[in-house]
Amino acid sequence: MMGRILALVRKDLQLFFRDPRGLMLVFLMPFMFIVIMRLAMRGAYGDDDAPIRVLAVVEDRGDRAASVLGDLEKLGGFAVETARDGRPLDRAAAAELVADGERPLAVIFPPGFSQALEAGPGESPAPAVVEVMIDPASPVQLVQPLVGTLQGMIERSMYLAMVPRGVDLVIDWVAPQTGSARRAELQTISRQATAGVSGDGGASPVRIERVAPPGMAVEKMPDSFQQNIPGYTVFGIFWIVSLIAHSIHDERRQGTFRRLLVAPLGRGTMLAGKLIPFFLVNLLQAAVMLGAAGAIFGVGLGHSPAGLLVVAVAAAAASSGLGVLVSAFARTEAQIGGLTTMLLLALSAVGGCFVPRVIMPDWLRTVGLASPHAWALDGFQDILVRGQGVVDVLPRAGALLAFAAVFFLVGVWRFRFE
Amino acid sequence: MSTPILEAEDLQKSYGGRRAVDGLSFAVAPGEIFGLLGPNGAGKSTTLAMLSTLFPPDAGRIVIDGVDAVREPNRVRPGLGFVPQELALYPALGARDNLAFFGRIYGLHGRALEQRVDAVLDVVGLRDRAADPVRTFSGGMTRRLNLAAGLVHSPRILFLDEPTVGVDPQSRNFIFDHVRRLRDEGLAILYTSHYMEEVERLCDRVAIVDEGRLLALDTPQALIRGQGQGLLVVGLPPSALAPEARFADALHAAARATVREGLLYLEVRDLNEALLELLALCKERNVALTSLRVLEPSLESVFLKLTGKRLRD
Ligand SMILES: Nc1ncnc2c1ncn2[C@@H]1O[C@H](COP(=O)(O)OP(=O)(O)OP(=O)(O)O)[C@@H](O)[C@H]1O
Ligand SMILES: [Mg+2]
Repeated sequence: MMGRILALVRKDLQLFFRDPRGLMLVFLMPFMFIVIMRLAMRGAYGDDDAPIRVLAVVEDRGDRAASVLGDLEKLGGFAVETARDGRPLDRAAAAELVADGERPLAVIFPPGFSQALEAGPGESPAPAVVEVMIDPASPVQLVQPLVGTLQGMIERSMYLAMVPRGVDLVIDWVAPQTGSARRAELQTISRQATAGVSGDGGASPVRIERVAPPGMAVEKMPDSFQQNIPGYTVFGIFWIVSLIAHSIHDERRQGTFRRLLVAPLGRGTMLAGKLIPFFLVNLLQAAVMLGAAGAIFGVGLGHSPAGLLVVAVAAAAASSGLGVLVSAFARTEAQIGGLTTMLLLALSAVGGCFVPRVIMPDWLRTVGLASPHAWALDGFQDILVRGQGVVDVLPRAGALLAFAAVFFLVGVWRFRFE
Repeated sequence: MSTPILEAEDLQKSYGGRRAVDGLSFAVAPGEIFGLLGPNGAGKSTTLAMLSTLFPPDAGRIVIDGVDAVREPNRVRPGLGFVPQELALYPALGARDNLAFFGRIYGLHGRALEQRVDAVLDVVGLRDRAADPVRTFSGGMTRRLNLAAGLVHSPRILFLDEPTVGVDPQSRNFIFDHVRRLRDEGLAILYTSHYMEEVERLCDRVAIVDEGRLLALDTPQALIRGQGQGLLVVGLPPSALAPEARFADALHAAARATVREGLLYLEVRDLNEALLELLALCKERNVALTSLRVLEPSLESVFLKLTGKRLRD
């Protein structure tokens, strides 16, 4: 029996490596996605080497706008442009650049910006509106962090502007006779104190730092990779479903399936002979994808090769099972094409291959649990991003094997051996 | 006939209510080439598919070498070779790779496999194209390889479903010589074809089937001899052929006269006499012949008489 299974495996591997479409689908397509997404989403996820470029139009009559922008740049992740061709940027020029898609967004500080910030208690200046002009097609991932950060910077600036006023107010109230030299001294002291708190020079007593939950380690890896490499690896692994379904359909169409059926093989041998080669292709694919991503982009692959293997094996099993299931239900080439494309894209999407599941609404995250992609992706991220090991991914691998078993059993039950 | 190696008993198979095979029974002995002759849709391929264990019959028994092939298909499969009517090969693989694969799934390997592959490549004359992918082959070459793939594991019973369609006469003769040699080595061979002269030359016995039923079963010679001096196919006006006219009954030179689809079929004992009698009767009843064909005794005429159908080409 082993000899016959080997014969079947060898035959399908021969066919696979002679079929450029299969090779492209399995190796080139997912890798191409990683590269394109990497190039395209540079900055969207705030990579160090590619800051988000922000146009700033400063109409402010005071100097508060400039200081907010200064803070923004100091923060890193943003590159602020206030001038173009040696001239200060105006609203019209900025609008044109955004409209043309040259820059994703522009921030416009109104003339009364400083005045509004510096208004003391009791004064009521016209409210200043800071406009963020966005290409409506810009992704939220790009816009949201900027708006949030900007908000923080403005509040901080407002706070800093208010401190001297507040000091004055208190002095007026408690000791109105204080001389101006003494007042200046008190203001400087309070300013230094607040500056410390708000992180403006000197060590801030409160900082934000990334840490991992106990048992996980934060691997050094730029953010877009955390999503894209495991995401598209999983996406790619499941395309084997299409190859399996087409391969079985081809056997039927070519009539070779008839020869197999009248040969002394048995159904188990036939199925094993059909699935093992694609399972091996899946493992090779995972190795090539992760290996190439590691080599080309210099990202680490965690510290548990065994863990990666466990996840890859379980994911490959689930995708083989799904292949049998699809073959059992899709009868024509068109049905196979339509069904696999729809199914795989839907499962990848709800499984978080394209957009992280953490940002999805709760109900969709729950739906996502029904996608093997979600479990495979989590498994890979456990190793690649969360720095975990074999033991930690076993539950995910178990879930994937359960998917594999269900797909396989239903598929075999409905499979036409004729 | 020696003890049969294959027995089919009352085979039945329907596709969604339509009877494709309707009570076929026959037996085939080792060292015999058994032909199934029938028009399109007669049920030949369906019969071979059931006999080769591709799918079980709805009813009936198949016994191969003493084993119930319906209940224990895997026990009989190693000894069966199947050459399906539709080409069944991997177009992307070379001829040799195809044959080696089909050998391996029957458990062949190593030297023995290589020798068998070379041997069948020689039989179908494709040794020099062995490395080329099958998709680069001509229609006839592909058909030859299709045949080779059913031979590679040295089966004891061979099912050939129209194996020579589109094969040029020279290669066909070569293949026939080989099939005869296999027969002489003791293989039982079931063969369907619509080439009459092929069946006549090759088959030891012929079953004529139509609409899933067995119409005649004998050696080609006996079937032909039963034809007397041949067959007259006569076209007459519908009025003359109406049952009340009893035209056929008035003819005595014919061993048998039958009317089918507006034509009168006469199996004649003596051609001269039959013609004279026919013309005399026509004159007497004042009917004009609309057509007249004289067929020498042959499988073709047997077939035409039994089914009223001509075979393809
Ligand atoms: N898969 C199928 N589904 C439905 N009907 C079928 C199927 N295969 C064959 N038939 C029907 O069964 C009957 C017998 O077909 P079969 O292929 O056995 O004929 P055949 O004698 O081999 O004809 P041919 O000389 O054209 O090859 C036909 O009426 C055909 O339409
Ligand atoms: Mg047929």
